[in-house]
Amino acid sequence: MPYKLSISSWKAFPFLILLVFIAPVLIVLSSLFGDYSENWSHLYNYVLFDYVSNSILLILGVIFLVLIIGLSTSWLVTNYSFYGKEFLEWALILPLSIPPYILAYTFTGLFDTTGTANNLSREILNLGQDFVLFPNVRNIYGAILVFSFTLYPYVYLVSRTAFMNQSRSMLEAGRVLGLSQFQTFYKLSLPIIRPAIIGGLMLVIMETLSDFGAVDHFAIQTFTTGIFRTWYGLYDLNTAMQLASLLLIFVGVFYLLERYSRSETEYTSTSSTFRPTKEIELKGLKSSLAFFVCFFPIFIGFLLPVSELAVWAFSSNLGFFNEKFYTTTFNTIYLALFSALLCATLALLINYSIRFTKSRFSNLLSSLLSIGYAVPGLILAVGIVQLLAWLDNKVLLGLEIVLTGSIIGLIFAYLIKSYALANSTFESGFKRISPSLDDSARILNSSGWSMLLRVHFPLLKTSFLTSLLLVTSEVVKELPATLILRPFNFDTLAVSTYLYAAEERMFLAAAPAIAIVAIGLIPIIILTRMIKSSRPTTNKDGYDS
Amino acid sequence: MILEINNLQHSYDGTTQSIKNVNFKVRSGEFISILGHSGCGKSTLLRLIAGLEEQTEGTIKINGEIISDDKFQTPTEKRGLGLVVQEKALFPHLSVLKNTSFGIKNNAAGRSKAMDLLDLFEVSHLSSKYPNEISGGEQQRVALARALAPEPRILLLDEPFNALDEDLKNNLHNETKKIIEEKNLTVLMVSHDKNEAIFFSDRQIIMENGRIIEEID
Repeated sequence: MPYKLSISSWKAFPFLILLVFIAPVLIVLSSLFGDYSENWSHLYNYVLFDYVSNSILLILGVIFLVLIIGLSTSWLVTNYSFYGKEFLEWALILPLSIPPYILAYTFTGLFDTTGTANNLSREILNLGQDFVLFPNVRNIYGAILVFSFTLYPYVYLVSRTAFMNQSRSMLEAGRVLGLSQFQTFYKLSLPIIRPAIIGGLMLVIMETLSDFGAVDHFAIQTFTTGIFRTWYGLYDLNTAMQLASLLLIFVGVFYLLERYSRSETEYTSTSSTFRPTKEIELKGLKSSLAFFVCFFPIFIGFLLPVSELAVWAFSSNLGFFNEKFYTTTFNTIYLALFSALLCATLALLINYSIRFTKSRFSNLLSSLLSIGYAVPGLILAVGIVQLLAWLDNKVLLGLEIVLTGSIIGLIFAYLIKSYALANSTFESGFKRISPSLDDSARILNSSGWSMLLRVHFPLLKTSFLTSLLLVTSEVVKELPATLILRPFNFDTLAVSTYLYAAEERMFLAAAPAIAIVAIGLIPIIILTRMIKSSRPTTNKDGYDS
Repeated sequence: MILEINNLQHSYDGTTQSIKNVNFKVRSGEFISILGHSGCGKSTLLRLIAGLEEQTEGTIKINGEIISDDKFQTPTEKRGLGLVVQEKALFPHLSVLKNTSFGIKNNAAGRSKAMDLLDLFEVSHLSSKYPNEISGGEQQRVALARALAPEPRILLLDEPFNALDEDLKNNLHNETKKIIEEKNLTVLMVSHDKNEAIFFSDRQIIMENGRIIEEID
């Protein structure tokens, strides 16, 4: 291939993929400029206000709780030494392996009038059948609890890193100037890590707005449930797309805020004389209290739902691990692995092409290609269905429906949604490879594909494997896009869990839910290893070594 | 003339010129050192010759043939040059032998040629080791052997001895000079060390603010 052509193909490749990735989103947004049906007037007059107000209430409640849980736990584990701290420090991220919809199902099973918790309380306290100790959770407050206890690790992770990177000298200067321990926290530490916290919060908000399974189970009217009902209840795809566009604009604002806050995270110390914070040892009641504060979210967000699922799955004799379970697991794993393989390969090729061609648009390209993580799965599904239908009709001339309802749409959605995960892994992987290796390879007659296969790929094997694992676990959890785009009679673990839970057959939902949690633990294990090795080391004088 | 540089200009950002109207010629078998303070443009000049940067104006000719001007660029890998940089840039996932034979055919003849070069630089006993298992001086010997393996028309050296301690540097200076003379190589070396330049060079080019201010035979 002539050199100029070879360079041009590498240059064009990321732009081509970007075009494919944003097509479904543009299709959804284009509906705003089309006709508005009577259903739209109905939605506008009667339910749109509920969608907006419920979404805002949900967001505010979740922000409030995740801030309390995320900040208190991260402050404790970075600044104090107390009983069980080493275990709690990594265990606090375990709830990330539980998708909100699974916590919602277990909450219902636990706290309904005849749920496990209320039955137990009646038995222990020897009270009548009418006695209800735990209140009903099938409402917006229950949903706030569900999202808060599954999503707080986003705030915990970023604030823990930010607290850890704060210089001890700066905090000591505050103490010398007369600030108490608590004043040092809210007057110095908190304002400095504010951009990092906002970044974490934006992720929490986007996840909350994107969710379908939990709000649907609690019968709360939000944008996602509205889109689903408009499409499958009123059979009005156009109005569903218009509703989806509104949600997209809503999410877009938070996405931009998240990107902005990332660019503002340079407050942390980069000085060569950086001194990590010194841990204060807590004893007696204070140590127990710190343990309780950190253990409680792990208990509610991980131990309680996993125990409930285990009880459902193993204590009843319903034969959960039957052929259907194995078929569903097989479907999920091969779909997830195939998507992950594609996604990792794509991220490798795009990052390489940006590096190889020294693209001037590298940051912009990377941001735009990663935008899919912020787009709710339901919106992607709506856009993809329209795109595939158009391709079937216009390109394949409607001779046969090939793409619509096939597995292609599903894989396409997973690629868009998970690309950001694979991309961030490769971005950091490529940054670790010195550009002088590229120069040496080129001067030794190795360029393009040859340099990728002989130099970069062997050095990026770990990044490739990490992104495979991260994308696999993300795909396994994805519910709304799978529910809509899956081929007829093709169930995955997430769909299976949703369908059983929708029919209130919680015992049957337990086995696939446990499998989802087990697979979701994979990235947690990776994160745990990173957390264990992330604490700055100090020499005898307390200086960073 | 093996290398001719005419009216070479370069800018990284489109406004500030890092190379300004540079002209010089190199005869076959000549050793030229380019000297100057850091930031004077000497490494950029080497990268332009290697094709790792694109000039804004001017021409570069090798053996009378234009390899780059403001319209056309022969890709780096097609210029037939060798390059050794201060950071050595050995491929960390490849053994010493595989690093050395990277730019030549991976067959018995290629491996034998690589082993001969490693022998020449007295590191053949390290052929199965990986870069992280050998010392800085040994790494630089491997980098030199690797650059010579494809028999480059011109060898470009970008402060290759900079990170080495004095004793090691003196030893390697002597051995490298012997090999360069034996093989009658054309070499262009960037350095900030006058003594090193005097030891090696037939001619020295002094640069300041992107310009050649003096040539010393």
